[in-house]
Amino acid sequence: MEHGKHGLTVVAANESARKLAIQTGLSFADAKARLPELDSEHINRLEDRAALEALALWLIRVAPHVATDELDGLILETTGCDHLYGGEPAMMEKVSALLLKNNLPHRLAVAGTPIAASALARAKAGCLIKPGQEAEGLADLSISTLRLSSRAEILLQRFGLRQIGQLYSIDRKALERRFPSKHAAEAVLLRLDQALGKRPDPIHPIRPAPAQCARLACPDPVSTSAALSIGLVQLADMLCDALCHHGLGARSFTLHAFRADGTHDSISINTAKPARAREHILHLFDEKLADLDPGFGIDMLMLEANRTGPMDISSIALSGDLASSDTDPVALAALADRLSAKLGETAIAINQTRHSHIPERAQYIQAFNGDIPSISQSPVGPRPLRFLDPPELVTVISAVPDGPPQYFTWRRIRRVVRRADGPERIGPEWWQYKKNSPGAGATARPGSIPDMSRPDSRPTAKTGPRTYRENAPGPSGNPVRKLPRSRDYYRVEDENGQRYWLFRNGLYDDGRGGPPDWYIHGLFA
Amino acid sequence: MNQNALSALGIFRMSAGQQPGNARFPFGLGAEGLHEIIAASFGDMPAATGFALTISQIKAGVAVWVNQTMSDMNYGRVSPSGLTQLRPSAPPMLIARTRRLKNALWAIEEAVQSRTVSLVVGEIPDLDFTASRRLALASQRCGVPILLLMPHTRQGSTAAAARWRISTQPSCQNRYDPKAPGSIRWQAVLERARQMPHITPLNFTLELNDETLSLSVVSGLASNTAETGTHTWPEYGTAP
Repeated sequence: MEHGKHGLTVVAANESARKLAIQTGLSFADAKARLPELDSEHINRLEDRAALEALALWLIRVAPHVATDELDGLILETTGCDHLYGGEPAMMEKVSALLLKNNLPHRLAVAGTPIAASALARAKAGCLIKPGQEAEGLADLSISTLRLSSRAEILLQRFGLRQIGQLYSIDRKALERRFPSKHAAEAVLLRLDQALGKRPDPIHPIRPAPAQCARLACPDPVSTSAALSIGLVQLADMLCDALCHHGLGARSFTLHAFRADGTHDSISINTAKPARAREHILHLFDEKLADLDPGFGIDMLMLEANRTGPMDISSIALSGDLASSDTDPVALAALADRLSAKLGETAIAINQTRHSHIPERAQYIQAFNGDIPSISQSPVGPRPLRFLDPPELVTVISAVPDGPPQYFTWRRIRRVVRRADGPERIGPEWWQYKKNSPGAGATARPGSIPDMSRPDSRPTAKTGPRTYRENAPGPSGNPVRKLPRSRDYYRVEDENGQRYWLFRNGLYDDGRGGPPDWYIHGLFA
Repeated sequence: MNQNALSALGIFRMSAGQQPGNARFPFGLGAEGLHEIIAASFGDMPAATGFALTISQIKAGVAVWVNQTMSDMNYGRVSPSGLTQLRPSAPPMLIARTRRLKNALWAIEEAVQSRTVSLVVGEIPDLDFTASRRLALASQRCGVPILLLMPHTRQGSTAAAARWRISTQPSCQNRYDPKAPGSIRWQAVLERARQMPHITPLNFTLELNDETLSLSVVSGLASNTAETGTHTWPEYGTAP
């Protein structure tokens, strides 16, 4: 029952209630009056939906395309599946037995169109209509099985149209005139035409069909890991043969396990490049096979391949001298797959470069996708071997505002600068920058050089390392302008010989904020 | 005695009469086997990284860099542009990052066993003798060199072929600008060498010429006379 427009309403009734004339749509008070000992509970549509979807996933074992039909039905596209069971009647029996074994009450019907099958299952369960015979099969069913809108249904009943068959001979234009709008009449006719197969009615499966798949039914439910591995080996054999036959490789493999108790579990692996090597796939699944919960036993396994693409099949160069690189890209991708299967998808990365003057933009790390980039290096000034990302704030004392630092404090240790080299000025890339706040006013005092004793009193030395943020508010509390500043990079060496890459973020009179801050951006070897 | 028994894996001949093939500097570092490179102090990690990557005789191919995420935060990540300035023909590096030591060791071993990479660098805080023995055997079996970059806190025994301790030295005089840092200098101490225990400890002062990128061993005398001096910045007057 559910709270409806006019109080509590019955929204679902089981077989025995329907026999006692308690139908959906009845008000709960009436139902209780008819049957005082009626057992009822509030409907939970979210849980019903989840349960229906779980059942739909489990039924992928019967047919690859499974869609949900409103809140209480499932549609299976069985085209090409029935011969596996020995014809449609035999398939219905098998599916019925499967559901009964799991104590699932059900009503099955087979028809050429989804709406016809749905209507038939609700009115005459267990029926079978051959394709092309929908008109005869549906003729004596009630209009309500077509699942029209409630207003349209009431209107049709007022006209005396109670059976679907009565709609066939009616003049379409005449019907249209009796409806309040052309749209409402068109909705009824569309539904009728779809039921009869005159207009297309695609179903929306809950999972897209896999590019390639292999399935293995177990004679008895299995639950041991040894049995699962044997099953997986057989499936991988089948799937890799199929992929090889089509000249494809796949980047994603999913192993579905259908448990005997009507539930479903799956594990999946991804590869950096299209793959179809059986050993490689099995090796990757090895890591994850323990995550598969067999429950009370698995009676069917299915391995599907997704994101397929052509394999690059090229012979390996004969010797190291002829090869462009010593590394076999396929073997390297396989290594990356094994590492990412265990360490996580984002754990494997490779250095990439792009054309930019800003050091942190010019080099970045990217998830490995099977290609080894060539590091293109345009001639630049000295770059540190180890790169701090993001840069960390340092406090600096320098003899002249525009000069290199004399002392700086990084990570609470004060370092005396013995030698320094620079500056290398890197301007902001204005073409990368989007102006966010055009109204921000200039607050820096142009032309004035700030007091150089101030950086020492900044709070960073006490609060530990602070990292660089684009447009971060300055420690001196000056209002921030939304404009990037140019940087002056210095290579400095302290009294221990350790070399650092420092930069001053901004110029003193650029009018883009207060006195510039210093950051450390890298460590030289 | 049966000669074959001696050449079996895991048995070392320690007689001084027969020197192993790699008896010269850098004693097979980055060419074969497992080597440990330890930073002498916290700030020497970049020097240890530079030492590892410039000295190792990397063939063409891909290197795998396995690190625990913490070391990235402490010392930063290895930048390709900085590396190409030390070694123009540096191999591309596949980076594997993980939080756990166990996973990092597994990743190192997996990379070695794949035999597709030319070098595996592991940046890990510590490891026990058994793990180091395991890595050493894997490296020997598959012919892929392993370098372990470790912080100054590393202690304990190891099965590595050698253990180096690297510290930064003040750079030598810059000929063109006395105020600027000159060529890089490191002090490398060979603390342990498994096949030549009698030669340790051995102290090298190395200089990397920043123009020719050639590495030379500076003699003790020369390295001591390099005068960095205390330099005072000229006074430009104070700002108004």
